[in-house]
Amino acid sequence: MTRAAAALDTVRNVYTPEGVALRLPAAGPVPRAIAWIIDTAIRLAILIITSILVSLLGKAGFGLYLLAYFVVFWGYPILCELLFDGQTPGKRALELRVIADDGAPVGWLASIVRNLLRTVDFLPLGYGVGLVASFADPWGRRLGDMVAKTMVIHAPRDRPSLRPPVEGAHAPLQPLQPQEQKAVIAFSERAAQLTQERREELAGIAAPVVGSAGALGVLRLQAVANWLLGRA
Amino acid sequence: MKHAVMRQEAFVARHQDEWAAFEAWLEVRGDSPREARAKQGQWEGLRDEDVPARYRRLCQQLALARSRGYSPQVVERLQTLTQRGHAVFYRAPPPQWRRTLEFFLAEFPRLVRAQRGCLWAALLLFVVPLVGSFVAVQVSPELVYSVFEPAEVASFEQMYDPTNPERKLGRESGDDFAMFGFYIMNNVSIGLRTFASGLLAGVGTIVVLITNGLMIGGVAGHLQGVGHGDPFWRFVAGHSAPELTAIVLAGAAGMQLGLALVAPGRRRRVDALIESGKVGAKLCLGVFAMLVFAAFVEAFWSSIGWMPAWIKFSVGGALWTITLLWLGLGGRGGSVHATLPRDASNVRPGAAAGRIE
Repeated sequence: MTRAAAALDTVRNVYTPEGVALRLPAAGPVPRAIAWIIDTAIRLAILIITSILVSLLGKAGFGLYLLAYFVVFWGYPILCELLFDGQTPGKRALELRVIADDGAPVGWLASIVRNLLRTVDFLPLGYGVGLVASFADPWGRRLGDMVAKTMVIHAPRDRPSLRPPVEGAHAPLQPLQPQEQKAVIAFSERAAQLTQERREELAGIAAPVVGSAGALGVLRLQAVANWLLGRA
Repeated sequence: MKHAVMRQEAFVARHQDEWAAFEAWLEVRGDSPREARAKQGQWEGLRDEDVPARYRRLCQQLALARSRGYSPQVVERLQTLTQRGHAVFYRAPPPQWRRTLEFFLAEFPRLVRAQRGCLWAALLLFVVPLVGSFVAVQVSPELVYSVFEPAEVASFEQMYDPTNPERKLGRESGDDFAMFGFYIMNNVSIGLRTFASGLLAGVGTIVVLITNGLMIGGVAGHLQGVGHGDPFWRFVAGHSAPELTAIVLAGAAGMQLGLALVAPGRRRRVDALIESGKVGAKLCLGVFAMLVFAAFVEAFWSSIGWMPAWIKFSVGGALWTITLLWLGLGGRGGSVHATLPRDASNVRPGAAAGRIE
């Protein structure tokens, strides 16, 4: 990766004691804000349901409601992060996860710190401080994350499949540079996520390598990828 | 085109059973050590003692896959497995509930005493405005209206009306449990915010301490001045010890956080903040417990109107004594980092360093 690309990338490389780098894709403010909105909606729903239930209990019920309010206001993010491995329901929906900045799961003390300090990140209105901090930080952390030594990463649920998209292998008509080989393999593995038109458009760029364009070009390019990967 | 290194497909074919076994182990035994211990006999797959070696192999395979430029999908799968393995090996220890008592009896008071400077600063920032506004309202009673609205002052007077001995002290309405909920919500939130706003270079904490001092002193001074002092003091005597102390402790926690930002010493600023964030979180656990206790006393004990003053003041005095002794002496004889005794002769047999006996 070139230096310019590295500067733009929000991936944090954490070197583990085993000497291998874990690449942690930091999440930016927008998905985090959406996750927060989902969580806020859930918290409001919990409070509304609680208020309906406790209204049957009279004045003591009001005390119960205030206790529930306290737990939902301060405890909800801490409890969720500890019970669901760094994911509040909102973060789960957006496939985000809170982790310690060395790649380990978030600890309970760190979770308390980062959530108590929401008080400051929320200032002056709607996470203004947190937003500025996350723009200034290379890994999009708000102040609470910095003090707690945590970060929020993208943690997609689905596992990539390793099945070949087409059968058969075919040598390219001309030798390929390593970068070009990578591009062809990446195309083959991402092909399932693209529309047929987009596949043909991309395969068209590589037409000289496979000798044809259009739908046939797509199939041939995937066969070239199989050949590069050593598939029979 | 010749390939000096193993082709991706051959690499995957050779190792994928290994990866699947590791993944199966993560699924079944990786989540909770306790659960894994309980189901020791039922697991047929990869043995626990082989997992670290497998994990290191996986790390090596990930490094190989990257350096050989294998496809993003394969690297991604290896990275996911490695990361999950890393999470199992390096996760923070879960909270130890058995140590809860030791924390509150020994570690917390030690932690408080370790923040001596910030503690004195917070105490002064709270007590000076409190005493100042109390005295000021005694001298010129109209000053209370510069802190409170007239309606608020009227409601305070009504809450502590000595001509109505039947009513509950310190509240307009509401039963004990409702007020318990209110005190938890209100007071604990203030305590936690007092700590958190210390991150603004301590300014937030200072503002909270001073305003709370001014308000409490103002109310007390006004009620004393208009002759409602007796019910007021009977009300606050009980919960004053845990509540006021907890606010000062939350202030100290906030001050040390702010100090880490302003004067990090010979550390990077962010490292100083991380360190004092941990201290602050632990202090907040204690503050939380104290304020919950205070809310309990305030809701169910302080409001009892018929209780003779001497009982109220004795209980209040006892709570002050216990609180100060606890914070002043709790965990003495051990340090935050357990140290070896320098002289073996002063260690009684069976006495463990750092334990409450």
